[in-house]
Amino acid sequence: MMIDATLHAERDREVERLVRAAQRGDQLAMAELMGLLAPSVARWCGPIALQHGPDAAQESLIAILRGLPGLRDPSALFGWARAIAIREAVRIAKRERGRAGDPLGELPARGDPLLGVEIRDTLARLSPEHRAVLVLRDLEGLDEQTASRVLAVAPGTVKSRLARARAGFRKAWQR
Amino acid sequence: MSDQWPTAEIDRIARLRVLAALTPGAVVVEAVLPHRFDQVWGVAADLERELPQCLTDVRTFTITREDGERLSVDARGYFGLRAHFDVVLRPGWCVMRSRFLLGGMAAEPAAEQTRFAFLGGFRFPGLRPAAPLLRRLGKPAIAHVVSRYGQRVDVRVGAE
Repeated sequence: MMIDATLHAERDREVERLVRAAQRGDQLAMAELMGLLAPSVARWCGPIALQHGPDAAQESLIAILRGLPGLRDPSALFGWARAIAIREAVRIAKRERGRAGDPLGELPARGDPLLGVEIRDTLARLSPEHRAVLVLRDLEGLDEQTASRVLAVAPGTVKSRLARARAGFRKAWQR
Repeated sequence: MSDQWPTAEIDRIARLRVLAALTPGAVVVEAVLPHRFDQVWGVAADLERELPQCLTDVRTFTITREDGERLSVDARGYFGLRAHFDVVLRPGWCVMRSRFLLGGMAAEPAAEQTRFAFLGGFRFPGLRPAAPLLRRLGKPAIAHVVSRYGQRVDVRVGAE
């Protein structure tokens, strides 16, 4: 327990040092921060941007690191980065949906035995906004208030989107 | 089931592109080299021997201090130019930063081949307005560096 707390404190100090250095334009620090953020960005962007996930993740990292001078409290890095990544993933998913027309035409076959493919297929039947609310509430475990701040919508909207997203997910999953 | 949700992997070459996007005028050039990852990275990571072979402006690139994956390097050019570089070097990833220059390399295995990318750019303040011009001018030079690395891997693999 004590060791855990010490490790957390050390990690926090390291993150703070990297954020401060990156804010001064130190690219080595930016590269290290990228390494720390990349797994989380991959988790946030994947379910929302689906096959465009790598683009969304790359754009998110650029937006996060470019916006870093505006981050006053380094301990808020991950929460702040999550809001940016979710917004970028929704933006790219909507843009690509508009370009591609009907996205369902590109989906893998339903009979694929891999569960991950089934989930991707099911998520693709929802809108990017509904996928974003599922990521925040069901994958990240955020409460309604926090999710509403990340998505910049009213808590009531999060609630109704979540209900519709879960219903849509269940319906698509059972097909 | 949440561990089965899709993730958006950001490979090392994509990370190098992010670093370039954050550095005005920086250029990344990527090529697929017809050799295994360990053969390509064996050359790329051999900074002292191979970097001067591939960057025509660099005469020597000498590691003066080594602390795990962090290195200090003294670089010398052909016209008496000297620069100190802080370097982070790990498998498939290298970033080199001096006061005025930024360099980087990344590699990713692709079946029996290897995707290899090199980044080059300046770190002068106030370069942002000139970034498009610098990118256009820098691209052929960085493409030449990547091509030289390809040749060096050919030579080293041929000699094995």
